[in-house]
Amino acid sequence: MTKRDHDRTAALFHAGAAQASRALAAWLDRPASVAVDRLAVLPLEEAVTLLGDDGEPICGCAMQVSGGVSGVLVLAASDPAGLMLADVLLGRQVGTSAAWGDLERSAMIETANIVGCGYLNAIAAGIPSEADAGVLPTPPWFVRDFPAAVMEAVLVANAAASDTVLLAATEFRIDGVPIRCGLVFVPDAAGLGLLGAATGVE
Amino acid sequence: MTMPSERGSIFHAGALAIGQIGVARDGGFLRTFVGSCVAVVILDRRRRVAALAHVMLPAGNGRVTPPGRYADTAIPEMLRLLDELGGERSACTAKLAGGAKMFAFASGIPIGDQNVSAVECLLAEAGIPITARACGGECGRRVSLEVATGVMTVETVGHGTERL
Repeated sequence: MTKRDHDRTAALFHAGAAQASRALAAWLDRPASVAVDRLAVLPLEEAVTLLGDDGEPICGCAMQVSGGVSGVLVLAASDPAGLMLADVLLGRQVGTSAAWGDLERSAMIETANIVGCGYLNAIAAGIPSEADAGVLPTPPWFVRDFPAAVMEAVLVANAAASDTVLLAATEFRIDGVPIRCGLVFVPDAAGLGLLGAATGVE
Repeated sequence: MTMPSERGSIFHAGALAIGQIGVARDGGFLRTFVGSCVAVVILDRRRRVAALAHVMLPAGNGRVTPPGRYADTAIPEMLRLLDELGGERSACTAKLAGGAKMFAFASGIPIGDQNVSAVECLLAEAGIPITARACGGECGRRVSLEVATGVMTVETVGHGTERL
């Protein structure tokens, strides 16, 4: 991807992150932001390590996105970051949650729903309307697993078509402090085609 | 001792990534993480040689690199590498782990099931019996093969550990 191609594509994802920031701040009722910290075309072997390669379990809420910029979106977090989000949402003192119970999972799933949909809708809004870019995500599916296993499941749909993937990753900040939590979006072949049509990037 | 393959790109000392094949002789460990992918182990215990492939898709449909990514190219390549290390085909056995359905939203025949079926067929065609497996379910697996003993350890997050 040339710098020009990167910048054109990044503009769409930055718009998505701005909307996701507003959604996250409103959802948490405190200062919060979502920023694109990586947009790259990566070989599958490298992309699979994005969430970590040390075997420390993470939690993830995955949504399959169809209808426009299609692909898979994951809200991924380390256990401490995910449980901290749950504490904030449940009105508890941060550090209260020590394990993933039903309430904590539900908090994570709803965060993925609200923030993820804000992100996707803003990206879709940047696509010309004649391209029918409306997105339709599935309900988020919670997993707690090895990072490589989560990423592998995200990437497998692309593996039959290409040795590389376009991958957009974001970083979350709460009260100005970065946390190990973010959105990862991997468009599939159809989604890539739509993004390419919108940005002029082949 | 862990041996690099002549084909270069398919050897890694640490955990094998998607589509990679690792081979080893006499000792050491071969490791990888799998979700819907399948970790395929073929070993000749008497000669203490082993290969581990991280298979992502059932067939390459004409694509052949990296050979470990596709079941239909991984199995022949593993057998070729084991031959080079002095393994005896008739003494080889196989162990499998992985093939999970990680996300419930995936439609059609889950890719994990397709991967396991393809590997089973190819091993049967090659006359390699499968002696142990930990396949299916909804969780990822950390797979570690101890070459000297042939013991494959399969760890999960929240679903225990198996020694196969």
